Amino acid sequence: MTQASAGSGPPGTSLSVPAGPQVRTRAWSRTPTARRYLFGYTLLAPAVLYVGLLVGVPFFFSLYLAMSDASVGEPIARFVGLENFRSALESAKFYIALRNTLAFTVGAAIMKGLLGTTLAFLLMQPFPGRKVVRALIVIPFTLPITISILGWKWMLDSQFSVFNWALSRLHLIGGYGSADWPVWLGQPGLALLSVMFVNVWRGFPFSAIVLMAGMTSVAPEIIEAAKVDGATFVQRFRKVIVPMIAPILFVGSAFDTVFTLSDLSVVYLLTNGGPDGATEVLPTLAYNMGIRAGALGRGAAVSLFLFPLLLPAMIVLLRTLRRRQY
Amino acid sequence: MSEPRQSPPDHLAGSRRRFLKVAGAGAASATLLSMLDARRAPAQIKGTSLRMLMWSHFVPAYDTWFDDFAKKWGEKNGVKVRVDHIPHLELPARYAAEFAAGSGHDLIYFVGQILTGQYYKNLVDLSDISDGLGKKYGGWMESSKSAAQVGGQWYAVPDFYIAIPVLWRKDLFESVGLSAPSTWEDLRKAGRLLKAKGHPTGMQFSHCNDANHNWRAVMYCFGAKETDPTGQNVEIDSKEMREALKFAKAMYDEGMTPEVFSWDDASDNRFLASGVASWIHDAISAYRTTEDTNPEVFKNTYCLPEAAGPGGLRWNVGEPNVWAIWKFSKNVAGAKEFIQAISDSQKEAMAASRGYNLPFLLGQYAKPMPGLGNDPKLAALQDQGKITAFFGHPGPMSPPAQEVLTTFIVPDMFTRVARGGAVEDTMKWGVGEIRRIYGKHKQA
Repeated sequence: MTQASAGSGPPGTSLSVPAGPQVRTRAWSRTPTARRYLFGYTLLAPAVLYVGLLVGVPFFFSLYLAMSDASVGEPIARFVGLENFRSALESAKFYIALRNTLAFTVGAAIMKGLLGTTLAFLLMQPFPGRKVVRALIVIPFTLPITISILGWKWMLDSQFSVFNWALSRLHLIGGYGSADWPVWLGQPGLALLSVMFVNVWRGFPFSAIVLMAGMTSVAPEIIEAAKVDGATFVQRFRKVIVPMIAPILFVGSAFDTVFTLSDLSVVYLLTNGGPDGATEVLPTLAYNMGIRAGALGRGAAVSLFLFPLLLPAMIVLLRTLRRRQY
Repeated sequence: MSEPRQSPPDHLAGSRRRFLKVAGAGAASATLLSMLDARRAPAQIKGTSLRMLMWSHFVPAYDTWFDDFAKKWGEKNGVKVRVDHIPHLELPARYAAEFAAGSGHDLIYFVGQILTGQYYKNLVDLSDISDGLGKKYGGWMESSKSAAQVGGQWYAVPDFYIAIPVLWRKDLFESVGLSAPSTWEDLRKAGRLLKAKGHPTGMQFSHCNDANHNWRAVMYCFGAKETDPTGQNVEIDSKEMREALKFAKAMYDEGMTPEVFSWDDASDNRFLASGVASWIHDAISAYRTTEDTNPEVFKNTYCLPEAAGPGGLRWNVGEPNVWAIWKFSKNVAGAKEFIQAISDSQKEAMAASRGYNLPFLLGQYAKPMPGLGNDPKLAALQDQGKITAFFGHPGPMSPPAQEVLTTFIVPDMFTRVARGGAVEDTMKWGVGEIRRIYGKHKQA
């Protein structure tokens, strides 16, 4: 304050200020550049605060829990360093869950990509009732998850599965109790495929909507020009449409990966990770360990293993996106 | 096993049922009012409000009775009562949230997943109520205490437990020349003979509550133990456990189909009610469902409290439920009064649950018990308290035992062997996982 008042006093008094660099700082803070920075950061502050509170606080709280021996009844606990992570790595269940999580995420992403793209192209074509179909197609995405999963549970039931009975009536499989009667949620490979399929069923309308949003932004003249140049459908899609809608595709893929990787509900409600871990994913393992068993620290550590899985994927996606923007 | 009842003609059965319904409802209301009159709550709770968190009972009629009981109790004592019912599997997440927030329901309920050991530092000491109830009703079942006690203090009050007996089809057993089953070997034989005739058996090899109960019952009946009685030392690595695994594999191969790997808690209910099952191992809700949906099958469905293992051991694994009060509860006095009132009404509660709720208090086993004593096929369940164990047996329902339960290690061991895994490999894996969990809790 003294320096500031010295600086703002009459010309003679400013000579008594001993520190040259401080004068320079004061001078810089009054420059238009400094004021622009200040203004910019002030505008940015609410967003930073918002992200910090909504993302940073829960993340660092998870980190704190994962490095402590916290339990549901004792959240303030002893620091144990990386012990909980080591404990997870010692558990065979963890590796099964990790393997399934990767298979689940990659498999679901591929299926959603294929189905979403196909659906988007179909819905872009003009046909009677297109608006109604477009509205209907988002139903899986908007239905309360518990209700839709209970419906699927019933359809995949070992005894009353509507698929099985239909296939059996069509003589494509044997009757109930025969060796080729599929047990959708009971056979290891089939169980993982079934939970993946239900996740895809819920999520692919989102992929289609994202893709459609991008495709509507591509000027028809460009597509026409490509057609005139003799580009096939696949070439037009790969060389014209995808590069143009890449930013939207990347953001959509990023959202989708996060949603799939952290999907607890589908697996929890359909199989709860069973049988014998055939459908166990990191979120169900973390939930059963951290909340149902009360071992918050170890549950948090398991869930944090999702972070190194997601981080590289997000970095690659966002970098590619930035490179394409500039 | 008791003989079947003579079925009355349909028109008589209908009118008798109606009469019983009307008379029963009248008697229940009168009993409820006199019961509520019997005890006057202290004046200090008048004008307060009481929020309680409950599960959704598997017998919906019980929830109706319970809500009515709570309402009438509130009216009588000048307490505004609110009961929230949510699915039992969602309760642990809700408790974690309430505890973290430091506010929530005044009275809470642990169902199957007993979290007394995790939360006891934040729960009100209920030793006065529990000791009082113990004295009044002839003491508590010894095996129930660990659901409510930590270090000898009562931080919860046991309410009731659910028995998981064997429900078997007499007509089908007789069709292959078998009499009433008594041992696991009898059940295995029945499965083998009846699967060939299109009537397999089934127990869940999946991640659900019933899988945890059922395979523990086999384990304990074969003499295997999860820990020593102190709960400090894991004792599952035993000859008995290996025998139980081998037996389960044989029982699966001979009498079950692969659908058991996908079953949830209700699948076996449907399996029985559909008329396919030769026997199942489930709570009597399956018996009640069959009574309501398939009278013909119900007529031939009988109940065995538990099958005996090779050494004659007979342990049924029950599902315990206990009351608890947060320290941050705004109405501890009201919550305590309510626990006292509902515990004094166990008979009515049992009748409302159609014999599903079984008491922890020894004095409440006086025969005939409501819902059981009047049904010759279920009457044997009146002695269920003598053969009931809980998870962690013979050790306590401690936090590590709870973690072993919720991560489904025991059912997964049985699943691995049933699917053809080597017993020794499975033992190595399962024992390792269980020891690791107990080790972690010891460190903490």
